Amino acid sequence: MKQQRARFKIAAVCLFGLFFLLALYGGYSVVRYGNRWFATNKNRRVAAQKENVIAGDILDRTGRVLATTDASGARVYQSSAAARRAVVHVLGDGEGQVSNGVEDFQASYLYGFQASFPELVSALLSGESRRGDTVQLTLSASLCEKAVEVFMRLQPGKHGAVIVLNAKTGELLCEVSLPGFDPDHITDETKNDSGQPFWNRAVQALYPPGSTFKTVTAASAIENIAGVEDHIFYCTAEPLYFDEHAISDYQGEKHGSIHLQEAFAESCNKTFASIAVNLGQTVLQRTAESFGFNENFLFRDLVVENSRFPRSSSEWELAACGFGQSSIVATPMHMCLVAAAVANRGVMMEPRLLRAVTAPGGKTRITFSSQIYRTAMSGEIAARLKEYMRAVVTSGTGKRAAVSGLRVCGKTGTADSTQNGKPIAYGWFTGFADADQLPLAVCVVVENIGSKASGGSTAAPIASELLAWCAQHRNELVD
Amino acid sequence: MRRNNKKKLRVSLWRRWMDHGRALSGLVMTFFASAFLLLFLKDFAWQGLALGMAVPLMIWLTTRVIPRILPADSLTLSLTSFLCALGVLVLYDTNPHYAYHQALYYGVGLVAMEICIALVRTIRSWRGIAWLLAGLSLAVLALPLIIGREINGANNWIEIGRFSLQPSELVKLSLLVVLSYFMSRRSLIPWLAFAVGCLGILMLQKDLGTALLYYGTALMLYWTSTGNPGLTAVGLAGGAGAAVLGYRMFAHVKKRVAIWRNPWADYDNAGYQIVQGLMAIASGGLLGVGLGLGSPKAIPVYHTDFIFAVICEQFGLIFGLLVLAMYVALIWRGATTAMAARTSFHGLLAMGATIMLGLQTFVIIGGVIKLIPLTGVTMPFVSYGGSSLLSSMCLIGLIQGVESLNESDIAEDTYLAELSLQQRGGGVR
Repeated sequence: MKQQRARFKIAAVCLFGLFFLLALYGGYSVVRYGNRWFATNKNRRVAAQKENVIAGDILDRTGRVLATTDASGARVYQSSAAARRAVVHVLGDGEGQVSNGVEDFQASYLYGFQASFPELVSALLSGESRRGDTVQLTLSASLCEKAVEVFMRLQPGKHGAVIVLNAKTGELLCEVSLPGFDPDHITDETKNDSGQPFWNRAVQALYPPGSTFKTVTAASAIENIAGVEDHIFYCTAEPLYFDEHAISDYQGEKHGSIHLQEAFAESCNKTFASIAVNLGQTVLQRTAESFGFNENFLFRDLVVENSRFPRSSSEWELAACGFGQSSIVATPMHMCLVAAAVANRGVMMEPRLLRAVTAPGGKTRITFSSQIYRTAMSGEIAARLKEYMRAVVTSGTGKRAAVSGLRVCGKTGTADSTQNGKPIAYGWFTGFADADQLPLAVCVVVENIGSKASGGSTAAPIASELLAWCAQHRNELVD
Repeated sequence: MRRNNKKKLRVSLWRRWMDHGRALSGLVMTFFASAFLLLFLKDFAWQGLALGMAVPLMIWLTTRVIPRILPADSLTLSLTSFLCALGVLVLYDTNPHYAYHQALYYGVGLVAMEICIALVRTIRSWRGIAWLLAGLSLAVLALPLIIGREINGANNWIEIGRFSLQPSELVKLSLLVVLSYFMSRRSLIPWLAFAVGCLGILMLQKDLGTALLYYGTALMLYWTSTGNPGLTAVGLAGGAGAAVLGYRMFAHVKKRVAIWRNPWADYDNAGYQIVQGLMAIASGGLLGVGLGLGSPKAIPVYHTDFIFAVICEQFGLIFGLLVLAMYVALIWRGATTAMAARTSFHGLLAMGATIMLGLQTFVIIGGVIKLIPLTGVTMPFVSYGGSSLLSSMCLIGLIQGVESLNESDIAEDTYLAELSLQQRGGGVR
């Protein structure tokens, strides 16, 4: 009996433990995921609120009005079609075709769910319809327009994405996905378009990162292999074999006897394949994860698909991971964050889209605050990688990204994949301007570039032209 | 003289019990009177006003009057009545029709609880009853297989005339009595045969939530009674094996697990229920949108399985945690009662009922907040449903029956001790 009593006590404590778990998990998940659960276009509560509350305005960082509500209660976007198309993926549309646009994801502000009790009472007493909060974004609408214009001029008819963000603060300045569409004219044709215009490629598309991933492999090598920077790699025209699978370089090039820096600048696959095998699965995966691969991205303002670094089952797969193939996937946003981390001494800032939220009465509800997302690597490694990425632009595959008067650093990539059974190549450029006055990171992806083209010939020129434009319009972009 | 003394003691003990829950029950009554008044002001339906008087009256009956007739712990009664009344309140706000039924069930539940207390107090020999209940339970539990109909994928209901009821809810009580009796007698074979029989029938009915509940209760009861770690581990492994086997064999189990892992993947169909529940909880935030507001009816089965999400939407997460704390307090009182029991049987009975209530609450709330896969069991006292409310009230009745036995025993002990002291004192004098 006495022992039984003691066990009753233990059983009760076990039950308490279960309830403690409930409380802990419930509290954690509501705080962590609450807005993601709430702010979707599937939530009927938001739809119901739209009947009672006049949606607030959305402004860009210069105060340009991107969306407002007119006297009849209809949502009005900018007057120029090109301007509407440039920001449509960031903003979202009235039909909820684009996932997690500001119109949906910031519904708790735009539709006045955050109004305090006194505000509710005074709105009730005044008898007028209540207005939602005004949301100002960090986005630069003119940069977005410029990005679309440059992309469509240099790569007409191609699909892809462009991201520009501030590496020091994490402010998102440009997020463009092509093809775009006009939110004021959504037709059946738009809905059935095989180019999937509603898909926000910048944050939702998981592409193989290709050679842009060599940034991560190089970081891992510098950190974990002593003397790797002095080692001489031999790159011949012969392909390398791993598990009887051949690995060769882009268009069968040979690079001869090279250092790691040259291998990086020339984007030598064979060197990085052997480095990956040398590092091993565990070490390379650890570095990739410190850069945010396999991480559940839960940014405050953005919903970004999670990038994946696979667990390789063979040496060949691991070797392919070294240059960003195998089944590694990442979004343009994530690869832009990787470049931004190199620019920002190894510190990855959380990407942010909200600059300020203002209540109808003029009271500021929140203002922008930058926050460190994670430390991807040490400052020394970041400084080394910066040199490597500079070499890519001065003497390597990314020469066409150069901008006179600006120290552009970057990495090109040409990733192979298959789409509907057919081979498809993606052109990448991810880099940054190494300047204290213009700490911008950029990432450009062009889909289906064809077998003759590369990231250096397709994506790099777009990045170059955009960075040059940014240097001219610095005052609009950096505080 | 002896009679007088005993009476005096009993009076002082009453006072002690009353004081515990007195302030609490007053607070509870005020809360519900004002809540129903608020809802009445919304549409001026007389039913709101009627419930606003009836529910506090019922709470008053439960916490102030009933303990005078039959001894019971007034803290437990206050918490129970709060949870029941909360159910009626939330149901009245979402669907008044359900609320009237629930209030009626609440009244019936009170009577059933009293009957349980009286039975536990009066019955001295449980031998015949245990054997009878064992046979009867298996027969009743198997009934839906023969004459039942399927609701929500599980075949666990029977219909008698206009009424439909879930035998597995009522068998919970006899399960506890039978398991506790056999365990206190150390009759392992009939114990095991009965437990496995019940679980087998539930599996056949695809009533996984209840099966999980029965299994968890039986296993914990076995361990608390024998303290045999080896066989408990075997039982645990058997349960895990059955779970894996169930996952492999049944498509609907696989589907449940897939929904749990990512309900958003199939938002429009399979994941709809849980996603709507999560949205409701998220819209409530910390402080809730307020009674009578929000769109709780967007959640399918908001009145039974998902009532916790409705509570969180209207009253907020903090209130939701408070409700959890109330269940914790109930468990604490139940365990205290079990520990004070004089016989092994009564201890196991009270502990079993406590475990049953605790596990059931965990399984449903855990399912709603996506901590574990969702299985359809009700939230004790709060969810809509006659069988469920009745069985939960009876579980409290079992615990309170043991509690009242304990108190009588303590009173008797104190009396005897004082008597012997007096006699000894007299001897010296």
